[in-house]
Amino acid sequence: MISTATRNRERLLGLLLVSPALLTVGLLFVYPLGFSLVTAFTGEEGLWTTANFFKAFEFYSNDILFTVVIVVLSTILIGLGAIAIGGYLTLGEHPVAVAILKWLYRWPLFIPFIVAGQLMRTFLAKNGLMNNIFVSTGLLDPLQTTSFLDWRGIVITFVWKQTPFVALLVAGAMASLDRSMIEAARNLGARRFRILAEIIVPQVQPTIVIGLILSFVVMMSVLSVPMMINAQTPTMLTVDMAFRINAYGDYGVANALGFISYLMTGVVAWVYLRQGVRAGGAP
Amino acid sequence: MPQRDGENTPSAMTGVSLEVRGVSASYGEVRVLQDISLTIAPGEFVALLGSSGCGKTTLLRSISGFVPVDDGQILLAGQDITNRPPDKRNMAMVFQSYALWPHMTAAQNIGYGLRLRRVPQADLKRRVAAMLDLLGLEGLGERKVTQLSGGQRQRVALGRALAIEPQILLLDEPLSNLDARIRQTVRHEIKALQEQLGITAVHVTHDREEAMVMADRIVILDAGHIVQVGAPEEVYNRPASPFIAAFMGADNVVDFTVERANGRVRIPAAEHNDEAFLPAGDVSGAVHLVGDCNGPVQAHFRGEAAGLVSGEEIPPDSLVLRGRISQSSYPGGFYRYAIQVGAQQFMVDDPRPLSVGAAVGISLPAASLHLYSP
Repeated sequence: MISTATRNRERLLGLLLVSPALLTVGLLFVYPLGFSLVTAFTGEEGLWTTANFFKAFEFYSNDILFTVVIVVLSTILIGLGAIAIGGYLTLGEHPVAVAILKWLYRWPLFIPFIVAGQLMRTFLAKNGLMNNIFVSTGLLDPLQTTSFLDWRGIVITFVWKQTPFVALLVAGAMASLDRSMIEAARNLGARRFRILAEIIVPQVQPTIVIGLILSFVVMMSVLSVPMMINAQTPTMLTVDMAFRINAYGDYGVANALGFISYLMTGVVAWVYLRQGVRAGGAP
Repeated sequence: MPQRDGENTPSAMTGVSLEVRGVSASYGEVRVLQDISLTIAPGEFVALLGSSGCGKTTLLRSISGFVPVDDGQILLAGQDITNRPPDKRNMAMVFQSYALWPHMTAAQNIGYGLRLRRVPQADLKRRVAAMLDLLGLEGLGERKVTQLSGGQRQRVALGRALAIEPQILLLDEPLSNLDARIRQTVRHEIKALQEQLGITAVHVTHDREEAMVMADRIVILDAGHIVQVGAPEEVYNRPASPFIAAFMGADNVVDFTVERANGRVRIPAAEHNDEAFLPAGDVSGAVHLVGDCNGPVQAHFRGEAAGLVSGEEIPPDSLVLRGRISQSSYPGGFYRYAIQVGAQQFMVDDPRPLSVGAAVGISLPAASLHLYSP
């Protein structure tokens, strides 16, 4: 029989082994999160209050809605784009086109958000590259051109930047499917679009969902893109948070907005986990 | 798999002819098929047999449209389908891995081809139920295919192919993932079903016995060429080349120098064999000769056709090789002896217990010998 002393020593050793990881998580994640949560519920006099949240909703409810719409719309478009890219890489019959797409689609992955924002500013402006191309090809009159530097610009930038990331995951999952499953459908008379929709996508659905959730969370936290592309209201919550801190030193409302963002990502994570449990497999 | 008649059974599918004319195909720079020509009659079951890398799967994939052909034509019921995409050939393939879709039930897998053809829901349900019934899968239609056993999955794959009532059924080593015992029965089931439905079938396999049991005709391929086509008895008893003889199990090889005289073959006595004067030509019990067989030849025979003789006895119309028992074992029912003949060793079964080191003769009836001129 193991004595109590030996067992205690083993416990202590186990705790020692896990402590570096535990400390890292605690100091860098749990403490700041807890602190920001406490600050969100603390008034200027240091008393508990929900005033920060009332203020946040009073001033920024439009921005909350704006953020939700932008991020949800971008997530949907990213999903469609990633499926289209992955699908073409898997089912494309023109080897040269497949090779070019494979080489090209990953590029935005290596460009930081702030550079992407700058790039889109010159591309989407009223006198930007995009409109110049439309005008020079005769598609648009110079007077008809409009700036895309508003909510549309944010969506375009997010989709441009995040689609390759999800496409990378999705194309990998599609490539690892048994090729004969695709051939079996083809053999029975299915066209490529149906094969993609009915045979491939259902089987890589968990990967698509994971990629989209990660993208959702990333987009919720980007400050540079809405700041550079959309210099007006309504805007995204990250801009509001930065404004509360930089202009007023108001950590209370900033943290309340942060908590609201966290709830949004929390809902997405919860939906995903629930789906995983229902499917009976690991999430 | 019970065979049933009645109104629930899918209607007999009229098989059509398939012709492959001078087809060549490559993977990149490598030529995999060379000038293949083959005609398959309506309702015929043909096995493409060969070792791995011989091109049999490529030929099947060329027929199904997944591998483009460099030269030649493929004709279905006389119509050129060489350039038609795989989804426009009305052929159904059963894949080695079954390639069932794990997110669908057995019934959804089987009904998918019908759904693509916009068969009305009620009709589709009836046909899927009939197919499940035909394949002995009653009550399993609503199961996910991942919940089925290997044998059941194999049947679902077969059902999915047959449900669209294809003109040609293509089978790509469909039994290789089943365990040996189930494989034996499934062979007969597939063959019976094919005969019942009257469908034309092309079956790829590397298993000689499987091809023999299932096919009406066997096509043997080697290095991208067809080397022999014939009924199972023909390729087994009259292999056209030393390669085919070895592939069909006659893999014991002895070199002789022979003479032809009076419609017979004379093998002179040598260090390790007695003289033999064996019947040749178109008589029963004759040696199978390929080439002129007058001079040096390579003789092939199957181990199971050989018997043991002791002393100087020579059975009629047989060749006797002389050697000594070098090893003995008892697999059950008979003894298995390794006989050393010169530098070679042959395995021969015999019911009598004999001691290691004993001098014995291996007797080979004329009909078991295949002689090939170089």
